[in-house]
Amino acid sequence: MTLNNTLLSLSSFAPEIFLFLMAMGVLMIGIFKSLKNYVVSLTIISVAIALLMNFFTYNDRTLYIFNDSILKSSVTEFFKYICYVIFLIQILVSQKYLKDKKLISGEFYSLLLFALIGCLIIISANNLIALFLGIELSSLSLYSLIALNRTSLISGEAAIKYFVLSIIASALILFGFSYLYGITNSLMINEIANYLSNNELSNLYLFSYILVFIGVAFKFAVAPFHMWLPDVYEGAPLPITNFIASIPKIAFFVFAYRFLNDNQILFEDNFSKFILYLGVFSIFIGNIYALAQQKIMRMLAYSGVANSGFIFLAIFVSVDFNFSVAAFYVITYTVTTVSAISIITFISSNKFDLIYIKDFKGLSSKSGLISILFMITLLSTAGIPLTVGFYAKYLVLDALVNQSMIVTAVIVVLFTVIGLYYYLRVIWFMFFETGFNSLVKVNGVPYLIVLSIIPFSIIAIFIFPDFVFSYLFSILT
Amino acid sequence: MISNILSFLIWLPITSGLLILFYKRDDAILNFLNIIINFIVFVISIILLNSYDQLSPNFQFVEKIDWIPSLNIQYLLGVDAISVLLIFLNTIIFLIVSLYNSTLNLKKRNQYYASFLLANGLTIGVFSALDAILFYIFFEALLIPMFLIIGIWGGANRIYASIKFFVYTFLGSILLLIAFLYINSSIESFNVLSFYDSDFSLVEQEWLFIAMAIAFAIKIPMFPFHTWLPDAHVEAPTSGSVVLAAILLKVGAYGFIRYVLPVVPLGASSLDIFFIILSLIAIVYVGIVAITQNDMKKLIAYSSISHMGFVTLGFFIIFQLFDSTNLKDDIIVSLSGSMYQIISHGFVSAALFICVGSIYDRYKTKKISDLSGLLNQMPVYSWFFVFFALANCGLPGTSSFVGELLIILASFKTSFLYAFLASSTLIISAVYSLWLVKRVIYGELKNGLNNNLDANLLEKIILFTLALIVLILGVYPDFMMTYMNNTLQNMTNNIILKI
Repeated sequence: MTLNNTLLSLSSFAPEIFLFLMAMGVLMIGIFKSLKNYVVSLTIISVAIALLMNFFTYNDRTLYIFNDSILKSSVTEFFKYICYVIFLIQILVSQKYLKDKKLISGEFYSLLLFALIGCLIIISANNLIALFLGIELSSLSLYSLIALNRTSLISGEAAIKYFVLSIIASALILFGFSYLYGITNSLMINEIANYLSNNELSNLYLFSYILVFIGVAFKFAVAPFHMWLPDVYEGAPLPITNFIASIPKIAFFVFAYRFLNDNQILFEDNFSKFILYLGVFSIFIGNIYALAQQKIMRMLAYSGVANSGFIFLAIFVSVDFNFSVAAFYVITYTVTTVSAISIITFISSNKFDLIYIKDFKGLSSKSGLISILFMITLLSTAGIPLTVGFYAKYLVLDALVNQSMIVTAVIVVLFTVIGLYYYLRVIWFMFFETGFNSLVKVNGVPYLIVLSIIPFSIIAIFIFPDFVFSYLFSILT
Repeated sequence: MISNILSFLIWLPITSGLLILFYKRDDAILNFLNIIINFIVFVISIILLNSYDQLSPNFQFVEKIDWIPSLNIQYLLGVDAISVLLIFLNTIIFLIVSLYNSTLNLKKRNQYYASFLLANGLTIGVFSALDAILFYIFFEALLIPMFLIIGIWGGANRIYASIKFFVYTFLGSILLLIAFLYINSSIESFNVLSFYDSDFSLVEQEWLFIAMAIAFAIKIPMFPFHTWLPDAHVEAPTSGSVVLAAILLKVGAYGFIRYVLPVVPLGASSLDIFFIILSLIAIVYVGIVAITQNDMKKLIAYSSISHMGFVTLGFFIIFQLFDSTNLKDDIIVSLSGSMYQIISHGFVSAALFICVGSIYDRYKTKKISDLSGLLNQMPVYSWFFVFFALANCGLPGTSSFVGELLIILASFKTSFLYAFLASSTLIISAVYSLWLVKRVIYGELKNGLNNNLDANLLEKIILFTLALIVLILGVYPDFMMTYMNNTLQNMTNNIILKI
């Protein structure tokens, strides 16, 4: 259904507009010293209200608004809900850390909200211009957020690195867009993706798709486009890392999905091999480099590289345009990463910076619950049964085997086994060693409750996974 | 309850294990709870043993829930005689371990018990799952409690040992997963029964065989894949070693008899010579390695590998045996020998590890060279030690004799060379067992070893029970033989039909 009426379009776009206004409001309130304390609660409330608005205004129909430039469908709305929820969890668990580091300010939260809005626009854009605006809105906000900790040298380095590389990625994406516009004569993603059903594949079309997907690979930090990720993970304030590791990945997954769904290019050998090789190479690089890391955030970064490789593999195996495997992988991976980084944020907020992996030593005697939650999270990232991560890897392997790509499956699996070692290393520091460094007691019941949400659902969805699979399957095919 | 008995057996220890995590106040109550739970599980397994119908070769107590229809995975449980016997072994060993644990001084007692309870339930899951993925999940999840047991409560080098254990086993099992996925991609089912009906070409079967056999060979462990076991045993706490030797190794053996031989018999028969050679190397070479050990736990670990070599030999000679005699009964002799060896080794090795653990508790050393003349200090205990050492070298009248004899008989019919090498174990195992006894129990009492602590009542009960089981199994093997006869008949028919 298409809405060309601007007023009706505005009402369908209300959650984003509301968030945008609230982001301004948060910025304004942050100016006044006396009102500064309300910044956090205002952010939380506005995101929650936006989530509810989204929930109650959307009625399960595919809807094109603003002259087809924004799309609302069950897919986009589902991923938006996930973004909102992840964002709320991140805000809730990061307060203590931010207070500790004196980072709470109006501009922090308003920039964060802008970054969120940018990602929401990427998810729902149907027009290349709107899409690019979304990409830039989120990237620009993130550049400044990474550099926000002015006293930290590595923050500055991370911000510059992210800025330069992200600009290159945006430029490549834009370059690809310009060709796509030239070839297809359209700015609408659905028309671009359907182009091949009526036309022959041209080399230029393939080339522009490869350009766009190099940009996506940059954003996913798929090797060899992953160089920025470890530095940003290490340098940015942890709540920002938490954001970068999760919500943009979901947004760019929907981006990739929108460009590839119903597009015959997925059967084109050159293109699919490109995705496959990037994926396998990324799994290789990520797992090998992560082995050598001493710092927890760099290790998580390289594990992220490996997992992004899996996401690309999952996109590669999505023949019949069944993207539910890839979607499940993306959601599982981002949600587990959020859990991991949130837990690190929480531990770091007790006047103690958790930087090295060996800083975890003896955590289990300090706080058994936290270490069990972290263990569940890590095991899920590694893909061990009793956690959702198992299904994520399982589905990718299953799809690979079904396409008789057994050699690829075996190679990938062997690297996963290598990768297991660095997850186990954290577990061994937590449980097998003694003498936690920080003397401050790890406490705060509300925080613990929020932190338990994700590990608990990791186990719960492992036991009852079918409704998730069938839901994803129903919306993505 | 009887129709859901398997679910009950699996989930009772797991849920109570998770609940016990939240209770840490009183050690005595914890001990009591732990023993009671394990005892209830044991009693249920006896009910299972009793109500299983031996005459029917089919899987019984089948429970079926469509767990994940979109992935074709079912929650499918069921047992045949092999599973029932292994479940029984499992519950009795865990009951004994829980009794033994209550005598120990432990840190984080509730977590220790929780790990064991989890391991208990998950192992029962492994033995009763009839859906390949369900089996895989239990198989893999079993690593987590064992990893924690070795890593948290283990010895000085525990981290190395636990990581090696985990990574090694994970490597094997993930190949297993790919094999299962491949089978599913062509027969559209993870049900073991449809695995048995599958019909793969020779090349496919060979590859599937390699993938699955490596997984189980690591778990059992077979000769070149065995290096994790001595490390894990040496570093694990005593109860961990008991579970490792008595239960975990059997998971590998169970995998062979459930997923390898009947599913890909063609592949197995074309590659069986490698596994026969590896089994013989395990029996002879690893046995000789055991002789040279100075650490008692390592010695028993190597002797376990050597004994498991018998199990795999019994599994893999059946194809050549069938070629040379063409008699179905010979295959059954060989397989039942292996099964007997599995069960018997479970009890004997458990008892030996408990013996060594008790010495370690008293003298804080596992080195043979530090010990001598314990007979003077602890006569009752020494009696048991000698008894189990003799059982370990396969003395007639003990349970190990039956299994080894049957396998040697079967290998005689296959080839004289196999039989010759296999029976060399009678000498080798006697050398390491008796020499161990000679050095530790007999001889002059060394200085600093006199503390007059003989076996306490609980240890006496534990060791006596185990000794009784070993003797009963040794002098009256017929019970177990008839118990599993129908199942093995059925399995053999299946295998013969496909080769």
